[in-house]
This record gives sequence, structure tokens and C-alpha cells, in this order.
Amino acid sequence: MHLHSPAVEPGTVGPCPVAPDALQGIKRQQTNPARWNGSNWNEFAAALRQQGIELRENAAARAAFATDAGGTAYGLAHGVVIARNTEQVALLLRAAQAYRVPVTVSGGGLTTEGESVAFGGVLLDMTGMSRVLAIDAEAMTVRTEAGIFWHSLAEELRRQDLDYLSAPLNLTSSVGGTLGVGGIDVNSARLGCSADQALALQVVTPTGDIVECSDTHNAELFERVILGYGQFGIITAATLRVRRYTPLRMHYFYYASLATAIEDLQLIDRNEASDYSGILTILDCAVNVLVAFDSLEREAAFMAEWRPRLRGYGEFGFGLRTFAHYILRPWKLGEAWYLLQRKRELFPELRRPEYMRDGTMFDRSVVFSRAVWKFWGSRQMVIPDLATSAGKFVEAVKRGNAVCRKYFPHYTLYLVGIKLRPEHRAHYEMSCVPPDAEGWAYGCEFEPMMDAGVYSRDYLQSFKNEIYDIGVDMGASYYRFGGMMKGYIRRVFGDALVDRHLALKRAADPAMILNRHVIF
Amino acid sequence: MLDLAKSTLRAPRDYSACSGCNLCLLVCPVWRRTHDFSLTPHGRAKALQFGAAAGDIAASVQSCTLCAACEPVCPEEIRLVAMTLDLRRQLPQPAAMADLLAGMQTRASPSAAPALSSATVLLPGPALRDRPSTLARVRALLQRSGATALGADDGADIALALEAGGEIAQRRLDRFLRPLHGVKKIIVADGLLLRHLQPLLPGSKIIGVGEALSGLAAVRSALRAKDLYVIEARAYHADYQRLVRYYDSLRAAAGCSFNLDLQRIAIPAAARSLPQRLGLEAVDDGVQLRWILQGRKVTRIVVESMEDRAAFEQYGECPVVHLADLVDDGTSSV
Repeated sequence: MHLHSPAVEPGTVGPCPVAPDALQGIKRQQTNPARWNGSNWNEFAAALRQQGIELRENAAARAAFATDAGGTAYGLAHGVVIARNTEQVALLLRAAQAYRVPVTVSGGGLTTEGESVAFGGVLLDMTGMSRVLAIDAEAMTVRTEAGIFWHSLAEELRRQDLDYLSAPLNLTSSVGGTLGVGGIDVNSARLGCSADQALALQVVTPTGDIVECSDTHNAELFERVILGYGQFGIITAATLRVRRYTPLRMHYFYYASLATAIEDLQLIDRNEASDYSGILTILDCAVNVLVAFDSLEREAAFMAEWRPRLRGYGEFGFGLRTFAHYILRPWKLGEAWYLLQRKRELFPELRRPEYMRDGTMFDRSVVFSRAVWKFWGSRQMVIPDLATSAGKFVEAVKRGNAVCRKYFPHYTLYLVGIKLRPEHRAHYEMSCVPPDAEGWAYGCEFEPMMDAGVYSRDYLQSFKNEIYDIGVDMGASYYRFGGMMKGYIRRVFGDALVDRHLALKRAADPAMILNRHVIF
Repeated sequence: MLDLAKSTLRAPRDYSACSGCNLCLLVCPVWRRTHDFSLTPHGRAKALQFGAAAGDIAASVQSCTLCAACEPVCPEEIRLVAMTLDLRRQLPQPAAMADLLAGMQTRASPSAAPALSSATVLLPGPALRDRPSTLARVRALLQRSGATALGADDGADIALALEAGGEIAQRRLDRFLRPLHGVKKIIVADGLLLRHLQPLLPGSKIIGVGEALSGLAAVRSALRAKDLYVIEARAYHADYQRLVRYYDSLRAAAGCSFNLDLQRIAIPAAARSLPQRLGLEAVDDGVQLRWILQGRKVTRIVVESMEDRAAFEQYGECPVVHLADLVDDGTSSV
């Protein structure tokens, strides 16, 4: 039998040769049009070893990184290197550049679209560089190696009664990985995304130079590396702002309408009425606006001034309303039963007594991250998202919600605002921050519950594509536009901008070896 | 032969359920020391998912300290200790185990051991037996809440065989368990043995020495706010859901700090790999002890286990006392 693969013009993304007749009407995106063929590997490996770099080529070491948290992209590196220090990373990149061997960088490995999966070449495991280098309690900064997990950083900061400003609600995201893509917390509406808290970085460029950069020093590199999806260098150390640790006073308000809840969330954010804010839903039936405060004073001011203006219910009131809603719609009793079950399982997890004292929540990231992995984690995870300006957000969420309804019986939406820093606009170019956002951007993650269901990659890809098509239609952006979703980059940002970044990338990385499957 | 490690598996979830969250890395003492992903539960699970056999990951399997800190944080509720022990069983036995297993055959003689008449039995383990004065204090304190018998056979050989993944003769196990049937409360110094006894003696309340002693009013009242109380990790994680609340109440009552991280996981002090426990590799507790003490203002370290006591004494940062040493029990001066 003769298999015909259409010719692909170098530098372009060709048609997908895998099942080209499947999924009629849905645009297929080919992730790796031209994979590296392994040339020069032996010479490269010998060069590394000659320089004292440990390279693991055994199957068990490579297999451990065969997929990421998404569990839908699979690839094998030829070898794995654990990052141990900046000089070693620099040596590795110089050799990779010379022998034209791809280097894929992995931190927490929490990408969902295969961005941290190596399709040949070297997998560089950055978690080997996880030391906190210095905490300056007077300047309120921390200098840390970039492979550290945010939670490990929090553990060290807490010994000095300090905390990071904002980080993903996931204990095992790495600092370097987060700074490269954004990072959203429930305080991002007040403090911005995690990447915006970086004051300075140590970066190893794709050609192996070690460069310190910040807003004032090598600013252009700083602009490209922050929110740069790992294209312009490997962050090996970061100086971050920190703050005094405070436990939280948390409140939940319940809505039956996504639009109303989003309007109230944006009211809270615009007026900085709370220190933390966000929305978590069970389907689109129980929409939970959460607010939290660092102090009694802030909480009291919110209750006096802003609580009366919110249209959400308390837990008891919403329970009564929901009961009345479903008693009149007996054909939806299955949905009602699911909501009840979900409430019974999830709510106690968010109020575990060992993390609560005197009505305050200690260690919010522990509480939320445990819940995230316990209730949403599985061998497969897809979390397509839409990031829009404040004005477009209600429509984007409504349309995305309809797609979720179409594809999955159970899902969750996670919505949060991101305060933008006008002086960082250059950082935001071709990133998750939509170009038309002013003041705040808003992001919504659409998280299907896989439950015990088994879904094909095609099914999941179709779901993601439908969500992302909304973004193209609305002029939005995405948090996860790399890896398997990178075909959307040109559609949403346009050729001119992408080509300009590609030219920058080619100048910085002549052999195109660093994270080559992520964006371009 | 009885496959004890396998018989105590409570749930069928195994490595195949690992979703790659990395939460186990946050609490793993081996990861803290090496920052080598392949030596962690996650690393083992992922290697197994992609076809590795026990022999392919032998170094990782042997490096595990069995502190069990990873189990309570695993959102997939994978029985990670059982997974590691099962892998150890598939590896060739270390030569140092031969004498132990031969000794077990000798101890497995069929003569019936007398049943213990006391409602409470203490299984002290070798570390506590090696310090007779401390053992006497522990017993004297436990007598305050009722007669406590000393188990002549404390299953030390069984505990070590469990640790190494060795097989345990059914007759030896029967001989060990027979006197314990019907005992209401069993106080076990070895946290790994405690974990495995719980399902084998479901009618008994099985607790660690630390919980037994810290439950005494006299001991509680002797704790100070500037004490660092070091929980024995294996026993704590074997019964985490219950003990996290127990120690939270102890914190509220005594005001001291604990070797707990932000997830309320006990940071193990004397965390040893199998080669270290068998004396085949040098012990280095420095990384763990420095991490436990980092940034804390501590005037005294109070420990539950003798291994932790020895580790902190060697480190020499500040005075170290066993829980039993907190109270003058009349056996000697404090």
C-alpha cells in the first residue's frame, strides 16, 4: 500500500496527514510538521559528557517525561538533563546550538497542550534548580532559582512570615514556567498576573549567554522573556516581589446567571472592593463568586458598602432558590442531583478544619490546589480558555459555556480578572493578554469533568477548537495557545505580528532549538 | 509464605492512576535532597506507566524512605507505600537481609506464645529497647492511664523485612500476632509496622508512641510554646486524617510548633533509604534537619521517636528531649 503525504513547504504548517477525512468541518492543526530526525545526537551527547553534564538516555528516565498534565500529547526525548546550575544550562544550550539539537524545557510539567513534552532532543528538567537564593525582608523581595515550585517558595517565605504576591492556584507550577506564560491567581484583579511581579531575571539565551535583565537593564530581553512562552531564553533565576503573609477571610455568593455574576465580579474588581475575587461554577447552574480579604477592616468595608449591591445569594438562600427551580422542572432532576452531590463533596474540601482557624483560611493555595487536583485532575485534562477585554467577557463566557454544554455533561468554569500594568504593555504583545484590553483583562477556563468517561483526542481537540474559534471571532486571546493549539496563533494575532516575533526568534535562536514545538 | 505488603493494600488504585500533579514531590525528603524527579513516587509511577520494570528503577525504589508523606497528598489516593514495597519485593534481596530472614525462620517455631493479658501492650522496637532508661520512663508514663504490658516479641524482624520487601513466613507472622489478638490498645514505636498491623488486628486500637504519650495530661502540660515538637512521620501519615486533627488540637492546647509543612504533612527528620537502614550507605540527615529548623525560633526539640532524637542530637542545634523525658515519672530525675 502506498501512503501519500502531501509535500510541505519549509517554514509552513502543512495539512495534517493523519485521518484527513475525519472531523469534517473542523479545522485540524498539525503540531509538528517537521520533527527533528536525530541527526548529530551522538556527537552532541559526547560533547555534553565531555563537559561533565549528566545526560540520561535510559528508557525509564525518558519515559517519565513522555507527557504533560494534559495527557494528550506524547513524545520522547533522546535524553534528559536535570538542570543543576546556570553555567550548566548555558553549556547545554551552546552545544545544542552548535549541533542543532532541540531543547525542550520542563518545570512542573503542568502544560496541557504538550508544550513541555519533548519530541526528540533533550528534555531539560528545571526542577533541579529549586533553591531559594536570598530573601530580603526589608526590600520585600526574594531571589530564587526558577525551577522551584511556587508552593516550595511559599514554604520558605512563610518561615519569615512572608508570602508571594500572586501565583497559579496550583502548588506545583514552577516559577520560571509561570513567568513565561502569565500565571493567574484570585488576587490578579488587584495585583496583576504572576509574571508582572518579576523584578529581574537571570536568563540563559538560546545561544548560551547568561544575561541579567529587568525593566531597566537589558529591557528588551526582559520584555520578550516575560510572557514569551520560553522562546527567547531559559529563566534560571528570578527576583520577585513578596509581601507580609496574611490569612484570608473568605466569602461566597451564589448566582444562577453567569452574566449577572460576571457583572458583579467586574463591579468588585473595578472598585477594588475585595483583595481576592473570582468565579467558580458547577456547570452554569451554580455560579459562585468568591471574595476574600486580608484584614477585618477590608472585610467590614466590603460588607457595608459593596455587599448590598451584589445580586448573589448566600448559601441557604441559593439552596432554597435552587430547590424551587428544580421542583418545577422535574425533567432536570439529574442535574439537581449532580449539583447536590458536587456540593457535598467539594464544599467540605474548601473548609477543611486543619486549614481554617477562627473563621480565616490559612494557605489558600493548599486548599484550592488540593481541590483542583482532587476534583478536576485525571490522566487527561483539557482546559481551553478565552481571555478578553472586560467588555467582551460576558459574551465570550456565554458562548464558551454553550460549547461546554454541547460536549460534556459536567464541567466547571473558572473566571478571574487580571489587572494590567500600562508600563508592561510591551510584555503583553502576543501573549494571553488580549490586545484590546484596557485596565483589566478577563480570563475564563472551560474545564470539562472527565469523570469516568473516555474521550478520544479528536473529540477533545474538537471541543478546544470550538472554544478557540470563539476567540478568533471575537478578537480575544488565550492562556494556552501553544503546543497543540499553536495553529490558532496566526489566526488570532495575524501574520504580521507573528512574523515579526518569528524574525526575533530566528535572530535569537539561529538553529531554532529552544522549545521549538511551542509557538512557531 | 505470606505476601504481607500486598495483603494490606486497601484500595486497587495503583501507579496507572497517577495524573502527574507532582504534589508528592513537595513532601518527598528524597526529592528535597536530590531534586531528581526519577527518585520520587511520581517518577516511579510515570516510568511504570510507560513500561519500566522494577529492575529499571531499582535505585529509585531503594531510595524511598517510606515516610509515607506522599500518600495523604496524593489526590488520586494511590497507595504509594504499598506500590514501593511491592516494587522492592520484585528486586533481588540485599545480601544483608539473609541473616535476618534466617533468624525469622528460627523465631517462627510453632510453640504457642502466651496471650497478653493486659488491655494495653507496648511494642517498643529496637531503638527504644536500646535505651532502657527511656523505655522505663515510657512504660511508667503509660501505666498512668492503665496497665501496660511490654510485648516481648515486638516484631522488629518483621518490620525490617517489610521495609526491605522481604517475604514473611506465615508461621512467624502467626506467632507474632497470636498474643496480640484481643488486646484493646497496641502502642507501636515503629510507624511502618503500625501501618501494617492496623488491617491485621482490626479489633485493636493501634497508635504510635507519640500519640500515646502526648495524650497524657502531664506530658501536654510540660510542653512549652517555644518547643519544636517533632512528630514521627511514618505513624502520623499512616493515620493522617485522624491525626491531623489530633495534632491540631495539641497545637491549640500546648502552643508549641510542629514539624508540619503548610499542607500539614510531617517533615520527616531521620529519613533513611533502604541501603542506609541496612548500613550499606552513610546516613545524612542534615538536609531534612536544616529544613525543619530553618527560620524557627526554638529553644527545645521534643521528639516522639528515638531515631529522631539521635538525629537531632548529632546535629546539635539545641537541647533534644524525648516526650517521655518531659515528666518526672519517678524512675529518674528529669
